[in-house]
Amino acid sequence: MTALLRLVLILARAEQRALWRGLALSVTVLAMGVALLGLSGWFITAAAAAGMAGLGILFNVFAPSAMVRLLALGRTAARYGERVLTHDATLRALSGLRIRLLQGLLHSPYRQLERMRANAFLNRVTADTDALDGALLRLILPALAGWTVILCSGALLWPLVHPWIALAVAGGYLILPTATFALGQRVARHPARRAEAALQAARSRLIDLVAGRDDLAMHGQLRQSAAQVETAFARHAAARARLDGIERVTGALLDMTGAGLTVLALGLGIALVQQGAITAPQAAIGVFVALALGETVAPVRRALSEIGRMTQAARRILPALDTPAEASGGQPPEGTLVFDAVTFARPEADRPVFAPLSLRVAPGETVVLEGPSGSGKSTALLLAAGALTPSTGTVRIGGQDPAALPLTARTGSIAVVPQRHALIAGTVAENLRLAAPEASEDRLWQVLETVQLADTLRARDGLETRLGFRGTGLSGGEARRLVLARALLRQPRLLLLDEPTEGLDAETARAVMSGLRAACPGAAILLAAHRTEERACADRHVRVTRPENLHDRWGI
Amino acid sequence: MPRTDPSNFAKDMRRGTVLSVAAALVWLAAAAVIAWSLGTLLTDPSRLQPLVMAGGFAALALLRSLLEAAAQRALARAADARIAALRDGITRAEAAAATPSAHGGAGALAALAAEKLEAVRPYLLRYRPARMRASVLPLVILAIAAWHSWAVAVVLLLAGPLIPVFMALVGWAAKSASEEQMAEIGQLSDLLVDRLAALSDLRLVGAGPQTVDSFARASEDLRHRTMAVLRIAFLSSTVLELFSALGVAMVAIWVGFSLLGELGWGAWGAELSPAVGIYLLLLAPEFFQPLRDLAAAWHDRAAAEAVLDEIDAWRAEDRPQRMGHGTQAAPLAPLPVVQLQGVSRGAIRFPDLRVAPGETVALTGPSGCGKTTLLRLLAGLERPDTGRILLDGRVLEDDTADAWRATLGWMPQAPHFGNRSLRHNIGFGAPLDPALIETARLSEVLASLPRGDLTRLGERGAGLSGGEARRVTLARALHGRPGLILADEPTADLDAATAHAITDGLMRYVRDGGTLILATHDPALAARMDRQVALGTAEAAA
Repeated sequence: MTALLRLVLILARAEQRALWRGLALSVTVLAMGVALLGLSGWFITAAAAAGMAGLGILFNVFAPSAMVRLLALGRTAARYGERVLTHDATLRALSGLRIRLLQGLLHSPYRQLERMRANAFLNRVTADTDALDGALLRLILPALAGWTVILCSGALLWPLVHPWIALAVAGGYLILPTATFALGQRVARHPARRAEAALQAARSRLIDLVAGRDDLAMHGQLRQSAAQVETAFARHAAARARLDGIERVTGALLDMTGAGLTVLALGLGIALVQQGAITAPQAAIGVFVALALGETVAPVRRALSEIGRMTQAARRILPALDTPAEASGGQPPEGTLVFDAVTFARPEADRPVFAPLSLRVAPGETVVLEGPSGSGKSTALLLAAGALTPSTGTVRIGGQDPAALPLTARTGSIAVVPQRHALIAGTVAENLRLAAPEASEDRLWQVLETVQLADTLRARDGLETRLGFRGTGLSGGEARRLVLARALLRQPRLLLLDEPTEGLDAETARAVMSGLRAACPGAAILLAAHRTEERACADRHVRVTRPENLHDRWGI
Repeated sequence: MPRTDPSNFAKDMRRGTVLSVAAALVWLAAAAVIAWSLGTLLTDPSRLQPLVMAGGFAALALLRSLLEAAAQRALARAADARIAALRDGITRAEAAAATPSAHGGAGALAALAAEKLEAVRPYLLRYRPARMRASVLPLVILAIAAWHSWAVAVVLLLAGPLIPVFMALVGWAAKSASEEQMAEIGQLSDLLVDRLAALSDLRLVGAGPQTVDSFARASEDLRHRTMAVLRIAFLSSTVLELFSALGVAMVAIWVGFSLLGELGWGAWGAELSPAVGIYLLLLAPEFFQPLRDLAAAWHDRAAAEAVLDEIDAWRAEDRPQRMGHGTQAAPLAPLPVVQLQGVSRGAIRFPDLRVAPGETVALTGPSGCGKTTLLRLLAGLERPDTGRILLDGRVLEDDTADAWRATLGWMPQAPHFGNRSLRHNIGFGAPLDPALIETARLSEVLASLPRGDLTRLGERGAGLSGGEARRVTLARALHGRPGLILADEPTADLDAATAHAITDGLMRYVRDGGTLILATHDPALAARMDRQVALGTAEAAA
């Protein structure tokens, strides 16, 4: 709950003006609804009283009937305005939330970012940000507007009707629904968490079942795996049924609150009329206002059914929003890359990935890292980029430790092209300009020529060729070269490449490799490579080997 | 936990809907109590007993709440049964299918069964009963109004006239709102996911801040377009509310003037009593409420129908079924002689083949010649279109498939590792045999993992390199000492050292008396087998 409130504050602060206006309109809508019913009730009862007394001629019908029409039309108009404004504010706030999330994550450690590539994480983020769209719209705004209108109604009933009726109606509506909500969300917390966990387990098990069905069938595990999926779904259904039960009880409590307070207003009204303290039309106002205020309670039900998901989502999203203070300054490192007996161990692993590694790459030189797959070549590149910190030994670029530099300084002169191709939905030009927003079209074509992609793209829509999500629409080799071209746009002083020509035919691979060197003659290039075309362009080769003489837990 | 019988679905659904209509009807009686109390308060206040009136109203309100709760209970039960049946259906059908669905990958199907199916719940809980209420309550209220006053009935009829027109309007408004807006909001999530997936690598080229900026622009753009759609949708539902507000206001004014004695018409010539006047005023908003509920639930319907359509599309696909049940069985002992007789699958006609225990066979040929398919046919994962596979002369069929598969070791090219520990992925719970670790050269892999064989593997074996994953696959194939191993391209895409280790492991298995059938492009590996069978050529070695 605290996480959710903090998140709502962050959201609200960003869109203060729009939200205040939205709130004002929400209050107007509710207030007009209450006034409409209260006034109509009074009008009819008072008219009846006047008619019975034979005073119909003297009764001013025009003011109240005009008011009734005004309120009816005004309420409709205000409703429209309220919907547009609050939805706009919410969309703005959510858009802001997603942007902040992206900004916050931008500064998280590399390994953490890397884990986010998993589909499970991405689905989770999508679901979480979607769950939060109701936080303002269906929780906070209705609550604030409801309280305001209830208080105002109380303040008006006090002089217009009677203090007791004012206290009973306003006090009851202020306390009872809020208490029901507080209680309901507390009781629902555990089943909501269980339901969520069971659904995630079911999802993950179903993925394993579908993707691994052949393997599971081969090992005779298919029936059992299907049963495990069904068990998880059944657990979800059980928790869900419990949640539904809680919602039914709280729903009934809320219904009874409205009915009970109307009864109270009616009973008090009758008693007060019989004592002669108020007139029948005044009592009617009390009853009708009590009835009308039921509308302020309606959103509580919906909010209760969503609050579990919202709080869980907020708890997960909130930590990612904390943007660390942007460290700036620091010169982009330049000069020779030096590894001095560097090792790196994955967290919790009891041995390093590779044997101590030492190498030098001077500006203008090309050095190839060799070694079997899994030997840690990619890790070595990330160490050179300062994305990872070595366990022992030192990494220096022109005497500076890249891992100690602020991100902006580091990326100012170092570019890494990993094996995966990180492309986004949009045009080719948009993807290229992510690295260099001011690059001219000529410059874009120039780097595309370097990576042998210009002809391919010219045959399509040139720089305006559109890519789908995650760069779909290009073949693997094309995507990889586009990423390479993007790195070249930054004119790096240190270029770190992970198997850059994988998937290309030998001729194109050679052309790309010689083009790379020609495009940045002064850069130090370190590449992880298997292929002869890549290895041929190297000044030196360095072998990455597995660490030897390990203590082996399995005694083999 | 007890499962609701799906056959009760219709009964629960009907009961819930009827109870929900009943609860709404009880409210009409409760409103009468209020109207009568206020009316009597005007004419003869001393006759009224505050406690009796309040008690009467409270009792009716309680009855309504109970009916409503019972309705929700029945509906929730129906929804649970329906969703559980759909989920179990997906799980069973996917487990039995021999080929992947054209509908989408494992992630898409899991999202359909888990998250998306939840959208059917509000549809069953809200939309169906709202539709029933919308077709019953307005008519009842209209009848009550007409009984007392034709004028009020006419007003209600005029304001909520053309209920069909009205409904079409609602439908149109909600449809544009839900479909387009949902699609656009969905796209925004996709955009975010797109950026998040690329963020780690984009940051490495210094493109981080620009990525955020470009997302911010796209996100703002989407917001503008979404709001344009929403405005139209809100405008149409405002028209709906306008009708209802005008209706209520006109009823209030007619009742007021009649009670004042200024209007002598509209009540069938009788004089309108205050109680009836107040009652009519209370009923007016209730006339419109079911229609508004229905409009609010329309969105639920659109969302649910989209999901149900998706399931229909998935179901409509005709997919071949795997042989057997995929359950544990006792392995066939001794290992039978395997024979292929006139087998074809799709456009591929396979050569007749006989493999005796202890033999090693390499299936060779260009990509697409059916090497993988033949291995799958041999394993009973697919059924041949013609011909048969014989095990010691007995046809491989549903009743023999499970025992036959228990006899086999399986080494696919792209294995799937479950979201479980490495140990579980190899031996399905059994501890790892040191000899197995030795043969599969697994010790280096185990040492590099943070928790050894208890390390959890994610989707696609996250945390394992290609070579490590292949060793684990070999270990899994060797686990349980199979009589025959079927291996698909065991050395493809590996560096020389790893390829050597894998070949070594397989040959050691053969030396220990194993039988091996493998598909390969690698001539060196093929040469180490007893014989080679070239697929995709007319004359195959037999």
